Amino acid sequence: MHTVWKGAISFGLVHVPVKMFSATEDKDISMKFIHQDCGSPLSYVRSCPTCQKEVEWENISRGYEYEKGRYVVFHKEELEQLTAEANKEIRIMDFVNLDDIDPIYFQKTYYLAPSDTGSNAYSLLLEAMRSTGKIGISTVSIRSKSSLAAIRVIDNCIAMETIFYPDEIRGIQQVPNLPANPRVNDKELQMAQMLVSQLSVDFDPQKYEDNYRFQLMDLINKKIAGEEIKIAPEQRKTNVIDLMSALQASIEATKPEKRPRKPSSRQKAKETVS
Amino acid sequence: MKGVTLIPTAVKETILIEGHEITITNPDKVIWPEPKITKLMYLEKLFVLAPHLLRYCSNRYLTTIRYPNGINGKSFYQKNSPEPIPPFVRTAVFNNINYVILDNLPTLMWLGNLACIEFHPSFHYVDDELPAEWVIDIDPSLEEEPRIMEAAHLVGELLTSINIKAVPKTSGATGVQIYVPIVRGYTFDQLRSIGLFIGKYLVQAHPKLFTIERAKNMRGDLIYIDYLQHYHGKTLSAPYTPRARPFAPVSTPLFWEELTTGIRPRDFNLLTMEDRLGKYGDLIQRVQPQTLEHVLSFIQKR
Repeated sequence: MHTVWKGAISFGLVHVPVKMFSATEDKDISMKFIHQDCGSPLSYVRSCPTCQKEVEWENISRGYEYEKGRYVVFHKEELEQLTAEANKEIRIMDFVNLDDIDPIYFQKTYYLAPSDTGSNAYSLLLEAMRSTGKIGISTVSIRSKSSLAAIRVIDNCIAMETIFYPDEIRGIQQVPNLPANPRVNDKELQMAQMLVSQLSVDFDPQKYEDNYRFQLMDLINKKIAGEEIKIAPEQRKTNVIDLMSALQASIEATKPEKRPRKPSSRQKAKETVS
Repeated sequence: MKGVTLIPTAVKETILIEGHEITITNPDKVIWPEPKITKLMYLEKLFVLAPHLLRYCSNRYLTTIRYPNGINGKSFYQKNSPEPIPPFVRTAVFNNINYVILDNLPTLMWLGNLACIEFHPSFHYVDDELPAEWVIDIDPSLEEEPRIMEAAHLVGELLTSINIKAVPKTSGATGVQIYVPIVRGYTFDQLRSIGLFIGKYLVQAHPKLFTIERAKNMRGDLIYIDYLQHYHGKTLSAPYTPRARPFAPVSTPLFWEELTTGIRPRDFNLLTMEDRLGKYGDLIQRVQPQTLEHVLSFIQKR
């Protein structure tokens, strides 16, 4: 694990120097764009359409388009200044109950480790939060983006969840077709509740696997091993036998019945021609 | 027509048919060695077949296969009309090819003299997008397939059970074709969709007999239900066309029950056709053009 950020948690007068690590990793298998003709991975060129030439990173600024075609331009330093103060500090403003935060707010989790000099303060904060069952709400800037964050305890580790600001979360008023006055039949509700309780288990994340990723990895390994890869599109298995019986039955039903239901094939055959 | 005899003569002769003079070259040339059928005899047999063969060729684009040196000699497909084109021959252009329209006896005799043995008309009429009839081709993978007639009979039973009236015909080669007279108005796509439905059913119901596998080398010894041949621009051996094969077979419409009596395609040939036609006439004419709405609407709902 490599450190993504170094700084300190501060609350009141207490100062806890920490290092930050990502707590989760994206296991998506990444793929590159390859030129079909020669097999080379593509390179990306940032080019200027006006000067018609490639532009180096050192000559690139950021611009905010405040109206069509007009930009307010910032140099990297200007933006860094803006977050400079917060940059080294996770400042806890409030302590709240974890239940108070809806999961919709949570963004990404980081582990915080005490840096060399701060293990006493670290333990103090950890124990205080554990014993009160509270979590801290703070602001933090990581890579020039400022976020709201929740500081909480996972086992014997302090963790930080970046959380969305409330105005980053869309209201459910924007969701179409939600019933205004839901009416539920009592009997049906009882049935549904029964079903829910029958299917209720303890959450066991080990049960769930990313099948797509496993299949893709498997394919990759086979290709590496030189096997031919053929993906058969999954066949919709319609039972033609049943369909045909249904058709035959519907035709039988529309016929005025004057002969036995199952004439011998020979008789049937004759009727078709003569 | 029985007993028609064209006057046999020297190396080159002309005959008068429907007011048109047709030159016959090399009348004694052997077209089929076994049984021996000379060109003159062949033309006589064509005379007998003509009223029936013309019915299924007229107003269609004709592809014909020519065997100038008999059925064991070199052959070639003739799509563009042979030149010079006599005044009594109609032609029509389709896809840049000037096709013969085989719609009268002089034209048939002219082609016969040119050693055109097989007549393969288009599935559709001249300048038409829609198929003139519906055909499923039952095509064995083996050159000798003893089950082919039984297989065709199963197809017939199935069609009967869903109220489709059809006539089986020998292709003249190894297969059997199921000929379904229809009213005009169905598209090739629609008919192929019925073919697919029927094909899938037959494959599931008789997996050891049928296949709808398109790749030839994947079919094994299974009998191929070729519902895919039925496309605009493609052709089929016409009912009553002779075939360039041993025993001079003719593509012959049959009674369904004949399929269960141990017949062989070669039993229906240039030498036996006159009797058969005299006895039964053209069996396809016994089936009225029909609608297939009841099957199509059912399939489309699925």
